[in-house]
Amino acid sequence: MILLDRVTKTYSKDSSSALNRVSLFIEPREFVILVGTSGAGKSTLFKLLTREEKPTSGKIVVGGIDYDNLKDNNIPMLRRKIGVVFQDFKLLPQRTVFENVAFALEIAGMTNREIKSTVPKVIELVGLRGKEKKFPHQLSGGERQRVAIARAVVRQPKILIADEPTGNLDPRHSWDIIRLLEKINKYGTTVLLTTHNADIVNKLKRRVITLEHGKISGDQAQGSYRQ
Amino acid sequence: MSAKKKINAKSIAKQKRNGRKLLAFIRVVRYGAESFMRNSWLSVAATIVMTITLLIISVSFAMQNILTDTINELHNKVEMSIYLKTETTDEIGLELSTELNQLSSVKSVTFINAAQAKTKFAKDNSDNFDALNALKEATNRNPATLRIVVKDIDDISQLQKFVSDDELLKKHINPNFEPSFAGIRRDTIKTIGRAVNFAQNAGIIAGTIFVIISSLIIFNTIRMAIYNRKEEIQMMKLIGADRLFIRGPFLIEAMIYGFVAAFMATGLGLWILYSLAKTLLSYQFIAQPTINLATNYPVFVLMGMIAVGFLIGIVSSLLATRRYLKM
Repeated sequence: MILLDRVTKTYSKDSSSALNRVSLFIEPREFVILVGTSGAGKSTLFKLLTREEKPTSGKIVVGGIDYDNLKDNNIPMLRRKIGVVFQDFKLLPQRTVFENVAFALEIAGMTNREIKSTVPKVIELVGLRGKEKKFPHQLSGGERQRVAIARAVVRQPKILIADEPTGNLDPRHSWDIIRLLEKINKYGTTVLLTTHNADIVNKLKRRVITLEHGKISGDQAQGSYRQ
Repeated sequence: MSAKKKINAKSIAKQKRNGRKLLAFIRVVRYGAESFMRNSWLSVAATIVMTITLLIISVSFAMQNILTDTINELHNKVEMSIYLKTETTDEIGLELSTELNQLSSVKSVTFINAAQAKTKFAKDNSDNFDALNALKEATNRNPATLRIVVKDIDDISQLQKFVSDDELLKKHINPNFEPSFAGIRRDTIKTIGRAVNFAQNAGIIAGTIFVIISSLIIFNTIRMAIYNRKEEIQMMKLIGADRLFIRGPFLIEAMIYGFVAAFMATGLGLWILYSLAKTLLSYQFIAQPTINLATNYPVFVLMGMIAVGFLIGIVSSLLATRRYLKM
C-alpha cells in the first residue's frame, strides 16, 4: 500500500536532512503509529506522502502510484485517494458541518443526489448527527476533529493520514477520536497516525515506527512509546 | 453493431464529462457567491475600494472628455483674420475662401464683406452712442474679412506662405491691416496653443496615474483578502481540489465586487457630474456633451463600468492566486 525506498529529503543545501534514507513498507488495512520527537521527520514524511513536498532522492509508491511518474495535474486525483486529518482541524470556517464534509465530494465531481445520500451516513458514523447545520466555531475541539475525520473518510480513501489528531484535545475526546480511527481502520482503510501521547501508543498495541533525526530507529509490530 | 455501441459509449462519456464540467462551474459560482455573502466585512471593504477605483476611472474619463470638448471649442474660437480691401466683392471673397479651404491646415473659412462688417460693428457697439454716430456719418471703411479656423493653432506656416505668395490675395489684401496671426497676435495665439496642449497632456497623465494607483489599491485589497485565507487554500489543495476549485471562487468573488461596485460607481459618478455641471459651465467648460452622453446611454455606461470592474477583479485575483496554485 505504502512503499518508501531510501527516501531522503533535504530542504536546503546547508541544512541536515529532514529524512535520511528512510525505507518502509505498510500493508493495506494496517494501523501504524508513527512516533518521534519534534523535528524527527514525521511531518516531512506526511508531506511527502501527500505530495506537498518532493523527495530529494528515493522512491515513493502509494496505492500503486509511483510518485516519480506523477504529473502535477494528477496530484489532486492522488490526494482524493488519501484522507488527511490535522491537529488544528483545518476546516472551512465559513461552511457548516454538512458543507465541510460535502466539499470533499463536490470537488471530486459527485452529483448532488450522491452527496445528499452519502454525507449524512458519514456524519452519523462520526457521531455528529443533529449538528449538520452548525459552523466550526459553534463546535467543541473534539467535534471539530470529528468533522475533519468525516471529511477525510467521506470519499472512502484507501489511506487515512492523521497528523497529531489528538494534539489539541483532552484525554476523553482524544480516546473518542482514536476509537473512531480504529473503527475506520476496521472498515478497511489503512491508518497512519502520529502522536506524542504515550498512553494512546501503549494501549493501542499496534505497529509503532519510531523516527529519530530523520531515520527510523525502531519498528515494532505491537510497539510501545519509547522516550 | 459493436461499432454503434462504441459510438454510443463515447457520446455518453462525452455527455457525462460535459455534465461534470457544468456541475463544477455551477459549484464554483456558488462558492464564490457564498463567500461574498459570508465574509461580509471583507466584501464590504473590497467593494468600497472597487467603487472608489471605478469612480476615479470614470471621473478621469469624464474630465478628459470635458477637457477635450472644451479644447476643441477653444480651437474653434481662435480665429485668424486676413483683412481685405473694403470694395472686395463677394465673388472674390468666395474664390479666396475656396482656395484657403483647399489648404490642409485650414479647418474652415468664413468671408465677411464690408457691409456685413459694418452691421456687426453697429451690433457690437449698440450701447456706444459716439461710435454709432461716427458710423452713420462716415462712409464705410470697414475692411472685408476672411475669418479662418486652423486645425492646429501651432502650425500656421502654410497659411503664412499663402498670404505671401497668392497673387489674387495680394491684389485684394488691405495694406492698412495686417493679418491677425502676425506680430503680437501670433505670439498670443501660440501661447494659447501651448496652454491647450499642456492642459490636454496633463489631463491624460493625471488620469493615467489615478487609474494606475487605484488599480494597485484594489489589487492589493484583493491580494490581502486572499492572503487571509491562504490556510483555507492550503487545506483545499490537500483534500484534492484542483486549480479550478481553488482559483474559481476567488475570481467569482472579485467579479461580484466589480459588479456591485459598478452600480454604485455609476450612480455616484452621474451624481457628481450633475452636481459639478453648473460650476463647470460657469468656468466655460463644455460639460454638456459628456452629461448628454451619460444621460442618453446610462445602460452602456453601466455595462462599461461592469466590464471594467470585472476586468480589474479578474486580473487582480488571477495574479493574487497565482502563487498559491503550486500543487
